[in-house]
Amino acid sequence: MERENRFWRVALLALPLFVFLALVIWPLLSSFYYSFTNWNGFNSDYDYVGFENFKRIWTDRLFFNAIVNTSIWMAAAILLPTILGLSLALLLDAKVRGSKIFKTIFYLPICLSAIVVGQIWVWIYQPDWGLLNTVIEQITGSRFNYAWLARPDSALYAVIVAWSWQQTGLSMVIYLAGLTSVPSDLLEVCDIEGATPWQKIRQVIIPLLTPSTVVVVALSVINSLKGFDILFIMTGGGPFNSSDTLAMHMYNESFRKYFMGYGSAISVVLFLIALTIIGLYFRQLKKVDDIYG
Amino acid sequence: MAQVTLKNIKKSFGPTEVIKGVDLDIQQGEFVVFVGPSGCGKSTMLRMISGLEDVSAGQIGIDGRDVTHVSPSKRDLAMVFQSYALFPHLTVAENIGFGLKLHKTPKAEINRRVEEVAKTLQLEALLDRTPRQLSGGQRQRVAIGRSIIRNPKVFLFDEPLSNLDAALRGKMRLEIARLHKELKDVTMIYVTHDQVEAMTLADRIVVFNQGRIEQVGTPMELYHTPANPFVAGFIGAPAMNFLPAEMLSEQQVRLGETVLDLPQSSALSGAVTLGIRPEHIEVSDGGEIMATLDLMEKLGSETLLHLTTPFSDSPLTARVDGAVELTEGQTLRLKFNPNAVHIFAASEVRPAMTA
Repeated sequence: MERENRFWRVALLALPLFVFLALVIWPLLSSFYYSFTNWNGFNSDYDYVGFENFKRIWTDRLFFNAIVNTSIWMAAAILLPTILGLSLALLLDAKVRGSKIFKTIFYLPICLSAIVVGQIWVWIYQPDWGLLNTVIEQITGSRFNYAWLARPDSALYAVIVAWSWQQTGLSMVIYLAGLTSVPSDLLEVCDIEGATPWQKIRQVIIPLLTPSTVVVVALSVINSLKGFDILFIMTGGGPFNSSDTLAMHMYNESFRKYFMGYGSAISVVLFLIALTIIGLYFRQLKKVDDIYG
Repeated sequence: MAQVTLKNIKKSFGPTEVIKGVDLDIQQGEFVVFVGPSGCGKSTMLRMISGLEDVSAGQIGIDGRDVTHVSPSKRDLAMVFQSYALFPHLTVAENIGFGLKLHKTPKAEINRRVEEVAKTLQLEALLDRTPRQLSGGQRQRVAIGRSIIRNPKVFLFDEPLSNLDAALRGKMRLEIARLHKELKDVTMIYVTHDQVEAMTLADRIVVFNQGRIEQVGTPMELYHTPANPFVAGFIGAPAMNFLPAEMLSEQQVRLGETVLDLPQSSALSGAVTLGIRPEHIEVSDGGEIMATLDLMEKLGSETLLHLTTPFSDSPLTARVDGAVELTEGQTLRLKFNPNAVHIFAASEVRPAMTA
């Protein structure tokens, strides 16, 4: 009996473990390996080139362009959904008519894949008949055909808006759940002590929502680092690399220019950046746990 | 002039009326305790005084001003909650100074007053800690500190000690009594279901039952002259015994086979309920009331006797000196102190009287 149990335990764990090894650990280790080669992605013969790919990163103007874009992308992709999600949660938490319907509406985009969201926003941004320009034309009464996704000034920010539109629903739901765990007597203390609504939010509710913020920010960091598909579908990193993030740059070098070795080196750097951010984050998490645990 | 006046206060939650017309005047500097079984409306009443709960009808006055529809913060009162309601992200000092900070009091002034309060409540060594690092008793002291720092006119306590263990509760009770002595002019309204807290802390006790006031009086008044069986049963521990009896004349009552002479005449006649507290029953060879000793609870200095009598279905409790030697199953002769016998109408039945 005990033996049979043991067999099933191992067997049932083996499948997910295998998938994890094959799809996560193996590619990760492969990237490390290929980052020291000049493999082009197809040929079976390639040479070991030492740190050549990493040295090349230092001279790659586009790499630093991607670093800047990634910083903008991540900052916006963390801040916007977090702030908007919190604001919506605070508004919808009040017992107003129709708040349930609005909660559902704001949550819906999460159910779509990034590709679908990207395509919807490509249509919205379409210069000639897109929703955005049509609305602007209706308001101003004059012809307007700005190409949001084709201009280096606006492309990255246009994608950020689309991304935030989708992610806000998720942070809103997490904050709504967090709000239910804010003890009502703490809010009553505010009422008795004479806190204004803004003081209540700023000094009590937001600090008490810290555990939710931890989750929201963690998800935003992870999602924004992975945020590739929506950029891929909307701009492909262009125009003129203006929306090129590290993930995008890595893809272009590996799969468009076939510098698989160099692309791997970029992915190793990206991995180390992610590891650092997550490491710092976990340290912060421990502090939060000490207070709210 | 009364500090807090309640005029015909009513409160309904939907179709359920939980406060059914309460009138009460509370004087400045008075320590008033609202007591009653759970669900009697005492906490709701306190929350209505604080303004956290709206009144359905009636008028609340504080310091001569009608505050019925005034927001909680404008009523010049402070409240201590059962759960302490401390902000987990703030230190002890920040928690105490919370109200002052909201009103943009200068930092130096906040620090000075926080230290003053901390000294009164012996919290000086804990000012930099967060609530999680404090014991229950310390947390409640911080909550009290947050309340007294603003020098409110009225202090509300909503079962502040019920989350503490028994030993700590006794200690905190003393501290609250001491605080009341120090803050002579501050009116305190204190809600509890614990009649020991009510007896020891109150200048006056207000006994609530089913949304109404049963009786208002000093602890000793309630103990010695309860207005009805509910108050009689609620005040005093162990609770008063109630026995079926019959009035023979204005000053004579028959209990089973025994006739007791009452020191004062009663207006009641016929079947009545006789109330006697456990401490007013004596085991004595000269006693005329026979009872069987069912069970003994030895508390050291005293012993509680649980007895059965031939004339009542409910058990009888007596409190005797701990040194008395008795055996369970023994038949005892009891003597009731006639000065401590209470006569109630038999129709005043007894919901929750023995709670």
